[in-house]
Amino acid sequence: MTGAAPLLEVTDLAVEFRTPGGVVRAVDGLTYQVEAGRTLAIVGESGSGKSVSSLAVMGLLGPTAHVTRGTARLNGTDLLALPPREHRARCGQDVAMVFQDALAALNPVLTVGFQLTEALRARHRISRGEARQRAVELLDLVKVPHARERVRDYPHQFSGGMRQRVMIACALALDPKVLIADEPTTALDVTVQAQVLRLLAEIQAERQMGLVLITHDLGVVAGVADDVTVMYAGRAVEQAGVLGAFRSPAHPYTRALLQSVPQLGSRTRLPVIPGRPPGPGDRPAGCPFHPRCALAQDVCRADPPPPLVEAAPGRWSACHFAGDVLRGAAVPAETTPEGDPR
Amino acid sequence: MSDVVLEVRDLVKHYPVRRGLILRRTVGAVRAVDGVSLALRRGSTLGVVGESGSGKSTLARVLVGIEEPTSGQVLVDGTDVSTMSRADRRALRRDVQMVFQDPYTSLDPRMSVSEIVGEPFAIHRTIPRGGRDRAVRELLELVGLDPDHANRYPHQFSGGQRQRVGIARALALRPRILVCDEPVSALDVSVQGQVVNLLADLQAELGLSSVFIAHDLAVVRNIADSVAVMYLGRVVEDGPADSVYDGARHPYSQALLSAVPVADPTVRLSDGRGILLEGDPPSPVSPPSGCPFHTRCWLAPTLPEASVPVPEGEEVQARRVPPSCSGEVPLLVGAGGHHAACHFARPLAEVRR
Ligand SMILES: Nc1ncnc2c1ncn2[C@@H]1O[C@H](COP(=O)(O)OP(=O)(O)OP(=O)(O)O)[C@@H](O)[C@H]1O
Ligand SMILES: Nc1ncnc2c1ncn2[C@@H]1O[C@H](COP(=O)(O)OP(=O)(O)OP(=O)(O)O)[C@@H](O)[C@H]1O
Ligand code: SF4
Ligand SMILES: [Mg+2]
Ligand SMILES: [Mg+2]
Repeated sequence: MTGAAPLLEVTDLAVEFRTPGGVVRAVDGLTYQVEAGRTLAIVGESGSGKSVSSLAVMGLLGPTAHVTRGTARLNGTDLLALPPREHRARCGQDVAMVFQDALAALNPVLTVGFQLTEALRARHRISRGEARQRAVELLDLVKVPHARERVRDYPHQFSGGMRQRVMIACALALDPKVLIADEPTTALDVTVQAQVLRLLAEIQAERQMGLVLITHDLGVVAGVADDVTVMYAGRAVEQAGVLGAFRSPAHPYTRALLQSVPQLGSRTRLPVIPGRPPGPGDRPAGCPFHPRCALAQDVCRADPPPPLVEAAPGRWSACHFAGDVLRGAAVPAETTPEGDPR
Repeated sequence: MSDVVLEVRDLVKHYPVRRGLILRRTVGAVRAVDGVSLALRRGSTLGVVGESGSGKSTLARVLVGIEEPTSGQVLVDGTDVSTMSRADRRALRRDVQMVFQDPYTSLDPRMSVSEIVGEPFAIHRTIPRGGRDRAVRELLELVGLDPDHANRYPHQFSGGQRQRVGIARALALRPRILVCDEPVSALDVSVQGQVVNLLADLQAELGLSSVFIAHDLAVVRNIADSVAVMYLGRVVEDGPADSVYDGARHPYSQALLSAVPVADPTVRLSDGRGILLEGDPPSPVSPPSGCPFHTRCWLAPTLPEASVPVPEGEEVQARRVPPSCSGEVPLLVGAGGHHAACHFARPLAEVRR
């Protein structure tokens, strides 16, 4: 974080779903900010609320979902306080999203070219012919082979990675100030992935676009992110610059996650964090990570940790022992009982 | 019986390209899979990696019998599937299962998760109705999902949760052969590790054989016994996983391995690490002559063979490659079960010397 005014600032966001089985708190206090020209990576547990929180920012949640707390300020305006129509209109202007489910987000009965052309014409005052030309250029840009021919194809005729690139092209067509990209490169091979990420970086530098990149690929995060927000059980548990987050994580979940990254070097049984993440309905008392945390103490089982405290300059963590973890302690110093053999 | 459980020979799958709204004329073909031969050994995992759009999902669909090949054979336990009786084919549908690449559209949105995961029991009647609920709960637990969420519908799950529903369903019938198309791409690395370890356990305990398609080369390394690298509808390199990872011989595989992002923030993408591939991926509608990789190959232009005199009357190309690269299709050749389809195949260490 550089101290410039953030372009998009999400504060204490909470989202609930009303289901027959009860209320599901999918997002429970998420805070992050992204500045112009910078990339914020959101990483974290599968099911921790990354996609739901993004849909909330975009105003695209379904009828069973409710934003129960928080704000999402775009250039100072709280999007969540706007009437739904205005909210979506503002986003249409300034915020674009690449959806995690590329196939479901594309209309199966319309050609890829038509969908791109419509996206372009919705945003820019251009003729259909011009839009068609731009659509081909955009697909070329994201490396869809033979774009001129393939604009006439339907989504099911594209491979998984080609559909993802169509989604990226659609989002870029909108010329957004902020782009939220939810797992945009999972279906791309690493060489095409590198090309697409470079393209995003170029566009970002040129237009000073803010990029929120949601991904499970920690190699990608290390390669392109400026800042990192780590989510667990619906909330941000760590926030830091990319160097700090990888070098000296300040939350035990981040540390454990980094230790689980599979290595290219040799074949081994993959390291994992023991236990299963809690579902939104059965979050434990105290710190939501305590049943799986190697450092957990009594206080972790009893008291919820503070939302995010600054353990060191620019290093935010939601852990009772943030400072110890940051310094690389295996066991928090304060509470190790005297003479404990550990 | 040989220990090869699943094999394809010269497999070709073309999709017609049709144009025109009223008269749908066929004007060409997408050569999605263009002559692939592979073998899966009993109790082992074959990793398939490669270019996006190179035909991996198409190959998977033909392997499990969802699509018919244009030509070539699929053999299970040495028997050509196309010659099997209907009863045998039905049994096969139970023994060979697939995890689909797209966790969103491959699950029926109108069915609850317990119905989705339990459906194979109902179709194949392997477990009496009374025991199905318990079996479903067990399966969900196995893939790290909360069994109490069995009554939810797919849209109520996150991407990674849906992906695991697909895996649970594929495991329901205890298949002998599992074809996984990007089964862990939506999972955080810890859950991903759990699923990969689960597959390894099933392999050890039940003799499960699997084909594992993924873009994450590190994950493939940690599960696969052998690996095939695909480019534009073909296998350009295959062999024992260690041999391919430690000594890739095809320039495409070498580029791919060099581009794997590492979880080290001092190595930035903008630093241009690894072998960069120039140019655009070619189209499977009109693949290049000779070696399918020659239009983007980083090695070919650097070879002394590339500087042969240009025949009278022919234009001098800006990008020159050896005539064999643009003229002759390289075959998969090699020793010790490790093959590469390149006229100039050699380990990177030798190229760089
Ligand atoms: N419509 C819904 N009804 C009830 N619960 C839901 C609904 N949609 C999502 N959830 C729950 O909300 C939580 C957060 O989901 P979300 O899709 O945001 O996760 P995610 O962080 O994007 O995960 P992934 O990395 O797997 O995509 C999950 O536990 C999910 O099961
Ligand atoms: N039903 C279809 N009709 C026409 N073309 C198709 C069809 N299905 C696939 N293709 C084409 O076949 C080629 C191979 O696609 P496939 O989905 O097998 O690639 P892939 O290797 O799985 O790619 P990815 O890694 O992006 O998922 C692509 O060019 C794709 O557009
Ligand atoms: S045959 Fe030629 S073009 Fe093809 S991979 Fe080998 S060197 Fe490159
Ligand atoms: Mg998601
Ligand atoms: Mg695919």
